[in-house]
Amino acid sequence: MLVLKTLTRGSNHGYGIAQHIHRVSRDALRIGEGSLYPALQRLLINGWAEAEWGITETNRKARYYKITAAGRKQLASEARTFNFLVAAIAEVMESA
Amino acid sequence: MKLWNRLRYWTRWPRPDNDLAEEIRLHREMLEEQFVREGMSRPQARTAAAREFGNATAVAEKSREQWNLQWLASALKDLRFAWRLARRQPLLSAAAVLTIAFGVGANTAIVSVLETVLLNPLGLRHADRVVVARVRIDKIHMRHVQTSGVEFREIQSMTDAFSAVGAEEGRYWTSQVSGEPTRLLGQGVTPEFFRVFGVYPALGRFFAPEDRQSVVLSYRLWKSQFGGDPSAIGRTLVLDGTPYRIVGVAPADFRFPLANQVWTSLYLDPERLHRRGYNMSLWVFARLKDGVSVAQAADRVNRYMTGLNMEAEGYAGYGYGVEIDPFSDYVAGNLQRPLWLLSAGALVVLLIGCANVAGLLLTRAAGRRREIAIRISLGASRAQILRQLLIESLLLAGLGGVAGLLMAAVALRAATKLSVAGGDWITLVTLDHRMMLYGFGLALASGLLFGLAPALQLLRESSASSLTRGERRRFQDVFVTAEVAGAFVLVVVTVLLLRSLWAVESVRPGFDDAHLTTAYLMKPANDAGFFNRLRDELRAGPGIESAALTYPVPFGGGELTSTFNIRNRERRPDEPEWHGEAYIVSPEYLHTMRIPLLQGRNLEDRDTAESPLVCLVDSQVAQRFFPDQDLIGQEIGMYKGWARIVGIVGTIRGSTLEDGSRPVVYYSRAQVPFFPEVGIVVRSSVPAVGIIRQAVRRANASVPIFDIESMEDRIGESLGIRRLLAVLLSVFGSIALVLAAVGLYGVAAHVVAERTNEIGVRMALGARPGQILTQFATQGLRAGIIGLACGLAAAAWAQQWVTNMLFKVRPFDPTTFLAAAAGVMGLLLVAVWWPARRASRIDPQRALHYE
Repeated sequence: MLVLKTLTRGSNHGYGIAQHIHRVSRDALRIGEGSLYPALQRLLINGWAEAEWGITETNRKARYYKITAAGRKQLASEARTFNFLVAAIAEVMESA
Repeated sequence: MKLWNRLRYWTRWPRPDNDLAEEIRLHREMLEEQFVREGMSRPQARTAAAREFGNATAVAEKSREQWNLQWLASALKDLRFAWRLARRQPLLSAAAVLTIAFGVGANTAIVSVLETVLLNPLGLRHADRVVVARVRIDKIHMRHVQTSGVEFREIQSMTDAFSAVGAEEGRYWTSQVSGEPTRLLGQGVTPEFFRVFGVYPALGRFFAPEDRQSVVLSYRLWKSQFGGDPSAIGRTLVLDGTPYRIVGVAPADFRFPLANQVWTSLYLDPERLHRRGYNMSLWVFARLKDGVSVAQAADRVNRYMTGLNMEAEGYAGYGYGVEIDPFSDYVAGNLQRPLWLLSAGALVVLLIGCANVAGLLLTRAAGRRREIAIRISLGASRAQILRQLLIESLLLAGLGGVAGLLMAAVALRAATKLSVAGGDWITLVTLDHRMMLYGFGLALASGLLFGLAPALQLLRESSASSLTRGERRRFQDVFVTAEVAGAFVLVVVTVLLLRSLWAVESVRPGFDDAHLTTAYLMKPANDAGFFNRLRDELRAGPGIESAALTYPVPFGGGELTSTFNIRNRERRPDEPEWHGEAYIVSPEYLHTMRIPLLQGRNLEDRDTAESPLVCLVDSQVAQRFFPDQDLIGQEIGMYKGWARIVGIVGTIRGSTLEDGSRPVVYYSRAQVPFFPEVGIVVRSSVPAVGIIRQAVRRANASVPIFDIESMEDRIGESLGIRRLLAVLLSVFGSIALVLAAVGLYGVAAHVVAERTNEIGVRMALGARPGQILTQFATQGLRAGIIGLACGLAAAAWAQQWVTNMLFKVRPFDPTTFLAAAAGVMGLLLVAVWWPARRASRIDPQRALHYE
């Protein structure tokens, strides 16, 4: 979900995605490379993202991931589930 | 979607693996850059990046795994395992593969034939929407005959049921082809004929209503005669001396009728369109309107016919009707039922084969219980085990399928060379990709079928704590029962047909068919002396014993049938109209054919066009109409008014050996002129084909000669389908029998092997070998006997499919049933005898030590 969310900001490469999540979460979330790449492959398999080779701002060749329409749909549904879950947890915590 | 993405991944080149490695390398480099920016030295940064990233190989590995088609990979692993297993038991595997191969081969070959004839007749597009309209006249037992112009007009007017109606009339002409006088075969067709079959001209156009003396060429004739030159359109083709304008060329794939070379426009004059029963020579084909079924169309025509005032047309009480049938009926004709019978037989063989292989695998399964149990206890899921077992059987089935397709290809190559009366379409039969797909699918389906039962059984046995040996036995018994029942049905049907074939083959046609050569020629126009010259030329030929002219040639495919009357004799009101066959012959005919003259005199040269009309009749006429009266001098009316009977000759069978019930009347060619086609029969001590050709050429070089064949071959063709059916069913039946016996043997042998111990104990305790033998023999036979009983019932039911192919054998023929039952029983006895004897010879000592 986090990876997909990142991709909604525009296509990015693996390093960029990891950096972005790291930055935005104010260092709280650090997505390990060990799980990032398998996760990216899953996105490709499910057709939620596409990949192509491009050039980075520092003029290197890199593989860019782009979210697809199916990916956006998936993200929306995951976000709904997530929000619902968070809300439910919050309720439980508050009631106690 | 997921599967598709995965498949794409696996089929891409260069492998995406490289992408991944490159990507990871990049990532590490970027990390390194970052650390350098943050102030580390380059080597430090590199180490830090490496630490940060972790094990790159592991990451790549894990990422790659996401793509894996896990089931495919493990299926391949299972396949390799299955292959090793199959090779370890080569005999069993070969037996299974061969069994399936034969079943699949036979089915594929026969379905290919069915496809060409019944399912997709002659490869014509949308022929399933085409019907044929044929006349039936119940009173004289006529069915499926051509119509007169009236019925064509009537059906054409039923626009609510048919969208196009065409009529066709067989034609032949003499024409010059490649400088040789040749008989061209063709049809006169009405303008809509081609529309019925939905074909468009390859070149030019088809007929317009106002066309007269126009001709459409077949693709083949256009290629051979005009070299495929488009400028052939507008040129002329001379048929019987009359020029016809070429207006079009039919497409290459329009092969109906098969040997057709040209089509001419058919004009039906008003008399033909309004006199019912007049000149009944039209085949009427119609295309069903969208949404109209064959049954609905038949009903529509039937209602119209019954509403007609037949009395006014002179057909009251004739039972005159028009039947509508699918086009495939017309193509297959009498061969339809034999073909279905063969396909049913092939299916039975395949099913028996499946049961047999299932039984074999079941036996093998017994020895694998341990292996499976160990695998399950090591954590293999039941689904994995099931998959592995099914892949084993699918491998056998797949190999069987490939071998079966090869067999089918060989069989069809042989079949297309067969000559079966009414089966010239057989040359069109091919094993195309759809049929190969069907055959392979059939093989895999049977693999599932024979693999599922043993697999499930094995799983159950391996997971259950107690061994359900009895249950397995029950499975095996069911298979053996089914095999024996199926084999018995096939044997009964085969024996019934074989006996019929023998009965037919032993029928003598009433003439001496050895050393007879026959041929047809076209009567030349304006050549009065031709036949006399031809007679003299033939007589002078070396080795020619005698020669005669006749129409038709017996077993030549055509016959002259007609109703007849006898002077001073009235038909009983309830009696069907008298119907007979006529031959127009030269006086030498009786001598050449060796048909005995029983009474009176032969036709002679003094019977001329000017002298009174005379005829010969066969002894059937004498027995039926004049049992105790002198027939000579009586008068019979068939062609050209009353003819005086001058002689009685022996009865012959002229079209089929089976049916010789129709009276035959012989006229002299001098008194009843020949039709355009004339037959020659020559008795000779040497091969006469060349002599006949030469004699005809010498008598008149412009006369085409065709259809040269020995009389024995002609008779053989009339028996062709019977022989073919008998041979193929015998093969099917024998294989089914062997399979059933092997199946029974396998089970019995297995039982004995499994119980060696127990037998040893019993022997040690004093059981006599005889007791053991009887016990195991009866036990083994039980399934066989139940199968035989089921087979009896099934055969009694199934024989209704062959009753109309039987000849001099009654359907519930006790001899056949008893003989078949005894034969099958004997084979089963042999099958259980060996294992039972082995049981009775078990040495108690060794059996007990064995454990």
